[in-house]
Amino acid sequence: MSTRLYPIYQKGGPQLRVFLPNFWLKLVRPPHEQPPNVVVFSCSMEMTTFDIRNYLEKIYNIKTVDIRTRIHMTKTRKDPGKGYVVKDDDIKYAYVTLPKGESFEFPDLFPKKDDKEEGDDQKALKAAKQGYQEFLDKNKDRPNMPGWFTV
Amino acid sequence: MANLRVMCKLLKNLNISNVKAHSIPSDRRYKNWGAQEVKSGRSWKKEELRLKSNSDLHKYVLLKERNMLLTMEEEAKAQIQLFPSPERIDKVEDSMENLESVIRERNVAYHKLETGRTGERPYKMSKNAFGLRYRHEMSEYTMPKHMNKDWYEEFRSYKHDRYTEQFLLKYREKSYVSKRRQQIRDFNHVIHLLNRFPDMDMQALKEQYPNVDIEKAKASRKYGGHFAPK
Repeated sequence: MSTRLYPIYQKGGPQLRVFLPNFWLKLVRPPHEQPPNVVVFSCSMEMTTFDIRNYLEKIYNIKTVDIRTRIHMTKTRKDPGKGYVVKDDDIKYAYVTLPKGESFEFPDLFPKKDDKEEGDDQKALKAAKQGYQEFLDKNKDRPNMPGWFTV
Repeated sequence: MANLRVMCKLLKNLNISNVKAHSIPSDRRYKNWGAQEVKSGRSWKKEELRLKSNSDLHKYVLLKERNMLLTMEEEAKAQIQLFPSPERIDKVEDSMENLESVIRERNVAYHKLETGRTGERPYKMSKNAFGLRYRHEMSEYTMPKHMNKDWYEEFRSYKHDRYTEQFLLKYREKSYVSKRRQQIRDFNHVIHLLNRFPDMDMQALKEQYPNVDIEKAKASRKYGGHFAPK
């Protein structure tokens, strides 16, 4: 954000208005089962519950009833080679309760493809197979010659 | 169920029917869900953003797009799927950076017109604990300086004594030596260039190596190659 330095709040000062915040929100599948009107976000670590409320209301026009946050401490592990301790970044989760009657279900973002459509990996595999077949065919009319002997 | 639509907007900046997610008919499902590749254009340039009005720049389109992409990326990781076209995140970040710099330009212009100052965060050069100069970004305090004990503890760190003097002496020597070596390297390089390409563009050479005296380089014994004078 913040090309500007925001003035500190003093009594009687104008309300602080934030433009173009650096904040991000990720909608995530809840790690544990939640009521249908609870949505889970992972948010940037600097965000407070007030920030999340304003962010959702002003930018996404989503009304909220209650917001709770927790910081999930990620695991530490040892580097396989050198043995020093590595830790992933901690994650802040926000549990946002929607008003009564609202519900949200996490949609299937990666629906299963039909067999007719083939992905890039399938295409590459096919091309490789065809290339190898062409390579084999080249040596077909050269008897008593090793397979690697080719131009 | 108006909220579902908005939530889906978080995932994709597109309107979707106001029904439950699992019952969205496949033809109305967002086309990028499950796509192998998503085509996208280049990021926004500064020149293009300068033409936009201030209210257009505060539409938060890029912010929403980035949130959507981050959500997709996270979900792809969770589902062990390939996140299609990950370069989109970089493009959005690039556009956001450009947008912010354009807004900053406008802010500075506005402040200069109104107040004669830039309105940027003020700074001053001060010295750190090692006696090295750094750019100290100033901020506001509710307490005056002489009463602010915590601030005093934090920024009192530099003391000019024997040890910092010794450190600075060696530090400056190091930087001096590296500069001097660079100078010598450039000088020798110019001589070799002159030997190899005698009909070189002297103006261009002078521009590229401004700190090398070319007349002096030509007077060097390394200049002119190996041959006996007649």
